[in-house]
Amino acid sequence: MVDMTCREFLEYVDLDRERIWCPGCTIGLMFKQIAKAMTELRIEKKDVVAVSGIGCTGRTAGYCSFDSVHTLHGRAIAVSEGIKLANSNLKVLVISGDGDLIGIGGNHLLHAARRNTNITVICNNNEIYGLTGGQVSPETQTGVETITTPYGNPYPQINVLGVLKSNKKFFYARSTPMHLEHLKNVVKKAIAWDGFAFVEVKSYCIENSGRRQGFKNSYDMLQTLKKYKIVGEKDDLNEDEIGIAKREG
Amino acid sequence: MKLIQGNEAISEGALAAGMKFYSGYPITPASEIMHYLAKAKQIQFINSEDEIAAINMAIGASLAGVKAMTATSGPGMSLMQEGIGYAHMAEVPLVVVNVQRVGPGTGMPTMPAQGDVMQVKYGSHGDYFPICFYPSTVSECYKYTIEAFNAAEESLSPVILLCDGYVGHLYETVKLSETKFELKTRAKKKLGEGLGHTTSLLNKNGVPNTKDPSLYEEYLERAKKKMHDAAEKYKFYEYTKNENTRDLIIAYGICARVASAFTDKYSLFKPVRMFPILSEEIEKAAKEHDRIIVIEMNAGQYSRMIQSVAKKTVHTISVLGGTIKPSKVKQALDALKQQPRS
Ligand SMILES: Cc1ncc(C[n+]2csc(CCOP(=O)(O)OP(=O)(O)O)c2C)c(N)n1
Ligand SMILES: [Mg+2]
Repeated sequence: MVDMTCREFLEYVDLDRERIWCPGCTIGLMFKQIAKAMTELRIEKKDVVAVSGIGCTGRTAGYCSFDSVHTLHGRAIAVSEGIKLANSNLKVLVISGDGDLIGIGGNHLLHAARRNTNITVICNNNEIYGLTGGQVSPETQTGVETITTPYGNPYPQINVLGVLKSNKKFFYARSTPMHLEHLKNVVKKAIAWDGFAFVEVKSYCIENSGRRQGFKNSYDMLQTLKKYKIVGEKDDLNEDEIGIAKREG
Repeated sequence: MKLIQGNEAISEGALAAGMKFYSGYPITPASEIMHYLAKAKQIQFINSEDEIAAINMAIGASLAGVKAMTATSGPGMSLMQEGIGYAHMAEVPLVVVNVQRVGPGTGMPTMPAQGDVMQVKYGSHGDYFPICFYPSTVSECYKYTIEAFNAAEESLSPVILLCDGYVGHLYETVKLSETKFELKTRAKKKLGEGLGHTTSLLNKNGVPNTKDPSLYEEYLERAKKKMHDAAEKYKFYEYTKNENTRDLIIAYGICARVASAFTDKYSLFKPVRMFPILSEEIEKAAKEHDRIIVIEMNAGQYSRMIQSVAKKTVHTISVLGGTIKPSKVKQALDALKQQPRS
């Protein structure tokens, strides 16, 4: 298929604003795939709102060329639920980090998923609190050294898919910035899903986590994402699989 | 004529003001507001997972273009404080009701108090200039809820309606249809209409700029002026001057109700606009008297602010422990008579 969207996606991006992201960060790649998904879905700018929390990923809303809200740390989903209840015609895309959505904002995630609020949540899971300097997140892998777990993280990661699956109806997708076409396609399906959709983008943070773990550069970290195998749509995903798990309910 | 409760009048006021969204989390003595509004078919209503969600949902709804409200009591108000600060910085109009109970912590569940006066003024982080009204009768609950919505639209900020468990639970026969009011409609753009980027970062026209001290100073000056100018249109108070006395009582909410029994021997100033404090009006009333007495259900929170604007010594009658008894207030007033005038 010919890629019709090679430059069209820029329509959704404000190119004038100075990016805060470090060289080698993958948030921009993710944002680009989201914009491409929007292009292919022919979403009109007046029909969509981006909502972010606080963090490196939380700055994404500020780079959209359509209406967007940069909320408090952890509150993007709560604000989105208010937006959606007030105007159900708006498509709401939440784009934020793992600490924001799964840590401090975890309660809203739990309840928005239970209520099956019709929003799309895209989580850049870099497994760290990036913006604040690399503290442990609920998504940091066990054993990993961070600035607040200098002897290794003693705790396991949250199983977001497991949390979502406890609901009758759910949509969960996993992808990575190593698998760009796949990422775009699952975002498209998540946006088209009627109900609460969660996309977990497995990524990394070179500056505030990778270097502490001994990685020399972003390229080496990117290679770690090669371990994921693309599978289709299933009831469940294994840890090393990327794809979609969903239930119509 | 209708026999209704303060909390119900607040709910009716919100509906009359055109509120279309309510989010809240249960807490006595504020819950009747959500019980009442849960039945209102013309609004979107949500019993949220906590007060943090409640305030943030209200922020989202307001940005989407509808008038929004949440209500709580002290503990929930504390949880909402970060959101209230956000709404000031990001200019989100909404109404937050706080029907006060004894604190700190869980306090004396769920006896009335007025201990959140300073929380309203200073509870969020950073500098901001909140507008707050405090009704003391059931019909005032109705009227000032409507005015709180108007002030919110006028100032593009979260306006606080303070109440106490007494006034919130007070039943009175009222004729709400007699209340005269005008409604301010939404002037701010909505999400989807080209609102742009909303953020609580220091910004210039939606573009974050977080390292420029002069921009911050400029921002704060503008915010201060905006809040001041908006509040000017809402100078609500009652001043009952007794020409035969040099003693002035200043009281609000339930304490103003109790104090109204003593106007044969005292003048009474009842501020409804608690914040910004009615400096000129209070200073003028204070000038006309020698003894200024503030009656409040806390350890003297508003007294200190009044003293600074009255520029006179202020005596405080603190009514503590969740119960107000006119006989005890009278005793305290009598005891003050023995003290020298300022
Ligand atoms: C209430 C509150 N607590 C703490 C912070 C500080 N803070 C800002 S971003 C952040 C963590 C962000 O981590 P994540 O959501 O994973 O985003 P990332 O930077 O990794 O993309 C924290 C703790 C804050 N802004 N607000
Ligand atoms: Mg992170």
